[in-house]
Amino acid sequence: MIDVELAAFLQEGIAIQLGTRNERLEPNGVRVVSVAVDPDGRHIVAYVPDAAVAQVLPDLQSNGQAALVFARPPDERACQLKGTFTNARPATAAERAGVEAQWDRWLDRLASIGVARATLEPWITWPCTAIRLRVTAIFDQTPGPNAGAPLA
Amino acid sequence: MTRLESLASCFQGLIPATLFTCSREGVPNAAYISHVEFVDSGRVALSFQFFNKSKANICENPHALVRLIDPDTSQGWRLRLRYVRSETAGPVFDRMALRIEAIASYSGLKGIFKLRAADIYEVLSVEMIEDEGPRAASQWNERARPPASVFTLHAMQELSERIHRADTLEALLDSMLEGLEASCGFTHSMILMPAAEEGVLVTIASRGYPENGAGAEVRIGEGIVGVVAEARKPIRISGLIRQMLYAYAVHKQASEQGLCPHAHRIALPGLAAPDSQLGVPLINRGELIGVLCVESEQPYRFHEEDKTAIELLGGYIAIAMHSMLQRERSEPVADVAPAPALPTPAPVRAPGPTARAAKGPAREVAYYAADECILVDGEYLIRSLPAKIFWKLLNARQAEGRVEFTNRELRLDKSLNLPEWKDNLESRLLLLRRRLEQKCPDLRIVPKARGRFTLQLGSDVVLVQKP
Repeated sequence: MIDVELAAFLQEGIAIQLGTRNERLEPNGVRVVSVAVDPDGRHIVAYVPDAAVAQVLPDLQSNGQAALVFARPPDERACQLKGTFTNARPATAAERAGVEAQWDRWLDRLASIGVARATLEPWITWPCTAIRLRVTAIFDQTPGPNAGAPLA
Repeated sequence: MTRLESLASCFQGLIPATLFTCSREGVPNAAYISHVEFVDSGRVALSFQFFNKSKANICENPHALVRLIDPDTSQGWRLRLRYVRSETAGPVFDRMALRIEAIASYSGLKGIFKLRAADIYEVLSVEMIEDEGPRAASQWNERARPPASVFTLHAMQELSERIHRADTLEALLDSMLEGLEASCGFTHSMILMPAAEEGVLVTIASRGYPENGAGAEVRIGEGIVGVVAEARKPIRISGLIRQMLYAYAVHKQASEQGLCPHAHRIALPGLAAPDSQLGVPLINRGELIGVLCVESEQPYRFHEEDKTAIELLGGYIAIAMHSMLQRERSEPVADVAPAPALPTPAPVRAPGPTARAAKGPAREVAYYAADECILVDGEYLIRSLPAKIFWKLLNARQAEGRVEFTNRELRLDKSLNLPEWKDNLESRLLLLRRRLEQKCPDLRIVPKARGRFTLQLGSDVVLVQKP
């Protein structure tokens, strides 16, 4: 489902957000520090700061519905993954370097469009909760007439 | 609840916001959005440009969440929203549509990249995002503090005094741009006025650019200046680079689908890569006198509270320009001792080695009658009415040896075909002077007294009329 090229795009250090919803169909959302695509291409792990995870974890545990959106300035390439919740666990110390490196690349990329690294540098990036999702659909979300077209 | 007004910096569009929605079936959706518009203390508006999943969800489930980042403080905010209605007219729609139109026109996307509706949302709550913000006050650096307001009362007072001191159109325009730098810190600015050709604006004064830029033209409806002129409303764009990148992404996709027959992009006047722009229409009694454009390489420069001051300033400048143009027209020509005629009229000579004079190489001034355009030594100088005026002056000097002229005689000259009412002659002469300064400074038009000027040539000229 997630091919090698797409996996590289998702993990290169870009803007990522995780959306959920509660039982009243009210949406919730959090920033994702980094993602790791499973080798099977059907699962993805989203690392969400512990300080924020309570915004979405109850939704995921109750109904399992999730949406991950990815966007890359400066070309604005964007896509959205729909998925269902599999499990959540505390991210391990061994994962920290990889998580923070991806976030660091994102700060560099932001600087290329005029947003200084210092703007987002103070944000909390660790500790994180690793939220594993099974990917059910992928959509193109690059701005323009193709936005919304299924990619897989 | 935190007041929505206190999040003004979040609504500048510098850092993308995220919109979360949910379908009736319970499938969440997340999307980055280019802009969140502040409407009032209880409402915001989101732009509806393309019919996408977010829009579809909102139509069946009004609940939404927006996450915003304050570029001044680094603080993230959550707005819980409920969709109210879509507006396709009115002040909120107009404001959002104008900004999108200006960006679209830079990207060759006019008509494609456009606002379909301003979707109005009620703000149910404003929440600070705990993990997105400065961890301690000590981490706030100078850069992160909100910049001070630009158009202070003191700055406005200084600009007003400059308006009162100016005694010519030229002095007024230069003093305004100088004052915008001295009092407000805007180092790059320009004023455009309607050209003789309908639907075109021409740069008459500028500050901060390598060349004076006089004569640069913009069509009505093109870029921020053209859109301001068309709509007669001010436009502020912050984070322009990012918003243009967004537009280019749309352009790329639309081009691939054959939706963009004209792929050209209009070059930005002024700074090569401005990141904030402010365009102000200069309107007097319903008449567009010009457009003031201020640019900055900083991504964020203009504040919500500046808006009223900007419109006020635009009104002042317009009234002053209008009154200056009217005064020049209505006042009698000043009496001064006439300049002596040249000892002998300069003979008409053919271009070539014989045309060399002691002052240096002669300049060839060619007038292309069909295009009403003048080239000096093969380089474009000016066109339209200023070109006709310059050609008349050069010919009068050559035939009669005259070097002194009056505005009045230009107005009476039927060959120039000046409109009887609102001829803007003073601004045309100013434009001509500026172009000469820029392209051939040895050929000069020097104001002598009110309504009177002299033609000073530091080189011999060879006049060539082309069909």
